Amino acid sequence: MTFALATRGLRKRYGSRTALDGLDLSVPEGVVYGFLGPNGAGKTTTMRLLTGLIHPDAGSIELLGRPFDRGYRRRLFDVGALIESPAFYPYLSGRDNLRTLAATGAKTPAARIDELLELMGLASRARDKVSGYSLGMKQRLAIAAALLSDPKLLLLDEPANGLDPAGIVAMRDTLRRLAASGKTVFVSSHILSEVQQLVDVVGIIAAGRLVREGTMRELLHDEGVVRVRVAPEEVEAATAALALLEDQPRTEGGTDADGGWLTIHVTPSRAAAVNRALAERGVYASRIEAGSDLEGLFLQLTADAPPPEVPAGPSWAAP
Amino acid sequence: MRIFLSGLLKLRRRLATWLTFVILLAILGLIFVAVGAVPPPPPPESGSDPGQGGVDPAILLAFPTAYDNVIAFILGLGGLLAVIYGAAIAGSEWTWGTLKSAVARGENRTLYVLGTFAAIALVFAIGIVLATGFGVVAALAGGAIAGIPADGFGDGAALAALPEKLARVWVAIVGEGALGFAIATLTRSQLAGIGVGVGLYFGGQFAGIFLPDVVQYLPFSAANAVLATDGAGQGGQVIQALAPNVALLVVAAWLLGALIVASLFTERAEIAG
Repeated sequence: MTFALATRGLRKRYGSRTALDGLDLSVPEGVVYGFLGPNGAGKTTTMRLLTGLIHPDAGSIELLGRPFDRGYRRRLFDVGALIESPAFYPYLSGRDNLRTLAATGAKTPAARIDELLELMGLASRARDKVSGYSLGMKQRLAIAAALLSDPKLLLLDEPANGLDPAGIVAMRDTLRRLAASGKTVFVSSHILSEVQQLVDVVGIIAAGRLVREGTMRELLHDEGVVRVRVAPEEVEAATAALALLEDQPRTEGGTDADGGWLTIHVTPSRAAAVNRALAERGVYASRIEAGSDLEGLFLQLTADAPPPEVPAGPSWAAP
Repeated sequence: MRIFLSGLLKLRRRLATWLTFVILLAILGLIFVAVGAVPPPPPPESGSDPGQGGVDPAILLAFPTAYDNVIAFILGLGGLLAVIYGAAIAGSEWTWGTLKSAVARGENRTLYVLGTFAAIALVFAIGIVLATGFGVVAALAGGAIAGIPADGFGDGAALAALPEKLARVWVAIVGEGALGFAIATLTRSQLAGIGVGVGLYFGGQFAGIFLPDVVQYLPFSAANAVLATDGAGQGGQVIQALAPNVALLVVAAWLLGALIVASLFTERAEIAG
């Protein structure tokens, strides 16, 4: 398989703190890849390394099938990136900001700027100074900037930041369309619901290491659950009935604290089989829910991660 | 070339560019017109200090020496403004994170620094020429107010020497701007760059009182010495000065050094935030 982006043993330290501790990523071509992790897990450090802003202490990076380090900056001509917050000249208009950016890196046709302003819904405000833009507009302008050179690989750090619901839907459609056209989209985020709707492949990072990588379908299959609610006096019978299911899935809950809910770790499509197994033993569920628990998986995988670092900043005395 | 042209676009649209230029013109105009408006000192009485009666406006406003005076003022005041301006431009690239965007697009860091600074150097050249024109008009106006004839205005030798003098001033001001640019790059901040640059400017002047042999080689002192003048506009020239051609070489070395430092630092810097 060809990877649009691959890292092997990527390490980065800031003084005594290890930000990345041997990160191995494999991002297939033409997918939307969700890069998940709690705050301080190393997502932004990874993004900075992938765009040459900082340099690894050890390990290697491949972009679009070729090695990338400080001697190969031209690899980034095929990469578009939005790292952290949008960065623009506040006194320039949106269009002029894109013009100045287009003067760097890969050559960009002038017509592309208007095309992108139109695409991101900023054409009517293109002549206004960026200092007057809302956070959402700056975010859309930053995505337009990332698309300037019609990149094959798009790296987006929290792209939904500041966008309103309509903006998030539009961004999601745009990114899906880009992936459908063969481009690879690498999205870093900690908004699980957003990632679940957008991405094909997920990588979860915790404490600078990749703790899980796979397609969203695989992950959700693995983390699928069926929840049934039964009367408290029937919990024991229900547990026994579920133990007879074909693959003997793990079942938990059923205590008073759970409100009579039993959680059975099976793929959601087997909800009917669960219901049948209960009914055959004379147990009737008052409610059945089936779904996938990306949040549960995320919390489970990142539970051992150290607490996020609080950035240094001003402190306020209590009044 | 693309970075240079985009740098010009950025500078043209930036308020700091026009504000710096207007400050230079305002002070230049104020001085030359105000000197013309001040009544000439009475003839010194025998036994009195000839300096007590004030400056004779003819010294400043009579052509062709007025040309030199205008250029000397631009050199002295423009140097300070250049430090501030250079620091503001370089620092904002870090403060606003726009350098990060360029680097993430695969731009060569050194070329970005040099292209940006080349645009600043061109803006300085345009500013110096326009300020000189304005200063000459201000000197004419001041002279007219003071009743000083503008006989020497068309002096061939003075006019012929102007391009070389302006070129020397340009090199000096570009050198001072490069210093502010490099300091702001090292500090990664507009404010810190401006503060340190201005501190060095005045610190150098002050240190010149005690260490003239050393300070004459420092960038701001050397820049002020690129013209062979009588010291007008330079705060009385309290420090020992290099010969103009030596000063020009020293300024060029500082300019080169500042650009190398700014480029190397940017090339090796880890860009975060």
